[in-house]
Amino acid sequence: MNPLRTIGRTFLETSDTVGGITLVVWQILKALLPPKFDREQTWLNLYKVGVKSYPIVIMTSLFTGAIMVIQSGQYVKATGATGLLGWGAGYAVLAEIGPVLIGLMFSGRVGANNTAELGTMRVTEQIDALRTLAIDPMHYLVVPRFLSMVSMLLLLTALGDLFALIGGALTSQFVLDVNWRVFFQGVVNSSLLDEYLTGLTKGVVFGASISVVSCYYGLGVTGGAAGVGRAVNSCVVTSAIGIFVWDYLITYIVNGL
Amino acid sequence: MSPATDQPGQREVVLRVENLSLWFGEVCVLDGVDFEMRAGEVVGLIGPGGVGKTVFCKLCCGLLEPDGGRIEVLGQDLSGASGKERQALRERIGLVFQNYALFDFMTVGDNVAFPMRQRASHLAKDQREAFSEENIAAKVQERLAEVDLPRVRHLMPNELSGGMKKRVGLARANINDPELIFFDDPTAGLDPVTSSKIFNLIRKTQAQRNSSCLVVSHDIDRMRPACDRYILLYQGKVHFSGTAQQAMASKDPVLRDFFGKEAGLIA
Repeated sequence: MNPLRTIGRTFLETSDTVGGITLVVWQILKALLPPKFDREQTWLNLYKVGVKSYPIVIMTSLFTGAIMVIQSGQYVKATGATGLLGWGAGYAVLAEIGPVLIGLMFSGRVGANNTAELGTMRVTEQIDALRTLAIDPMHYLVVPRFLSMVSMLLLLTALGDLFALIGGALTSQFVLDVNWRVFFQGVVNSSLLDEYLTGLTKGVVFGASISVVSCYYGLGVTGGAAGVGRAVNSCVVTSAIGIFVWDYLITYIVNGL
Repeated sequence: MSPATDQPGQREVVLRVENLSLWFGEVCVLDGVDFEMRAGEVVGLIGPGGVGKTVFCKLCCGLLEPDGGRIEVLGQDLSGASGKERQALRERIGLVFQNYALFDFMTVGDNVAFPMRQRASHLAKDQREAFSEENIAAKVQERLAEVDLPRVRHLMPNELSGGMKKRVGLARANINDPELIFFDDPTAGLDPVTSSKIFNLIRKTQAQRNSSCLVVSHDIDRMRPACDRYILLYQGKVHFSGTAQQAMASKDPVLRDFFGKEAGLIA
């Protein structure tokens, strides 16, 4: 295969994707100023996206906090610096690991589901039916999903942070024999408010990124069931890349480099 | 829309297509199609598979953009229409999809009520009286009864047969009393008895509301009682436009292929 042709095709495909995603962002902004979206669909999506994701987020967070404590446990035991246990786990979980892992879980559960749902609506002409009924799919389908994912990933990140600390405290108590009060005292004394707010900001940005990417791939499906499968695959990959790119940029900006 | 006169040839034009062309890549699907349809007419759009009949319907509803030519629907030129004008126009037309396109996350009742509820959401509060939930429920029940499905309101679309889905699609397309309705192969995959019922329904609802209908189908025998005249799309162009009698009297081999043995009998 001609390498120049491969590079050219990759460049064109990437440009197409970036351009398409930018157009979706533009249309969402246009629909939000002034707000034009279906409220019933928004409530429905808040439930589907948020309430139904609580169990998986709680599980992920409990284990993330626990793993952080186990990782730092041997050094804490060796040095006896039990006060650092809460700081170490809290710092890693609140600013970095928590939002990223919750974002990845969210993109796998909610983003993929969203792409499959919109893609199926597309191939079964339900989106054309909406347009024929004088309903803008952006207002009815996309904006409610965008608002739901952004707000719910923010709340899920906050909830995940709490359960990650609980997971860390339980592990500290029952695995390392460090009293859970010492663990939480370490978290409080470390003044991790900035890290906590950075994590929440990441939750909002990841939510926006996952919703835009999943809607873009869902609305662009062609080619029946196989097309839906390809779109879901692309959505998961692009969302994951998006999470790491945004994570890098936010970390870079917050640390003032 | 009330026709200006009872003479079909002098009624208001509800759909005018001039020199319409559409390409899919290197394939020319429509190549200079000219067509006119008047208020109160039921026109059958026929042609071989893949000739562009569905595409033609979608172009007329503004779901696809043509590569050339002009489409005027209910007096509105689609090419020059703004988003708001298209939205206003779509509230006056209906489309029954070949594959039903029922919203699978809603019950049948909600599917049929959906266009009414959405229309109500665009109106000012004092104009919404006719769109109260009681009125919507009554109209949904009426439309479902018209299509012989009075007891399926609470079912989900996946609990219905193909013929029932088609009829629900018909009820949904009719709920806002559109002036012009497009039926994209409304009997595809249905048995002959159900097909006849669907065509009778189309004629009946058209007669009740004096709407205009463009019906895409291959089922020429069964659509005959429903249609006033036919358009035959062939090789991207309108090959024939006229009544069944004119088609059957013709010696054109393409027409004879389509109108089958009936054409042979007259010829």
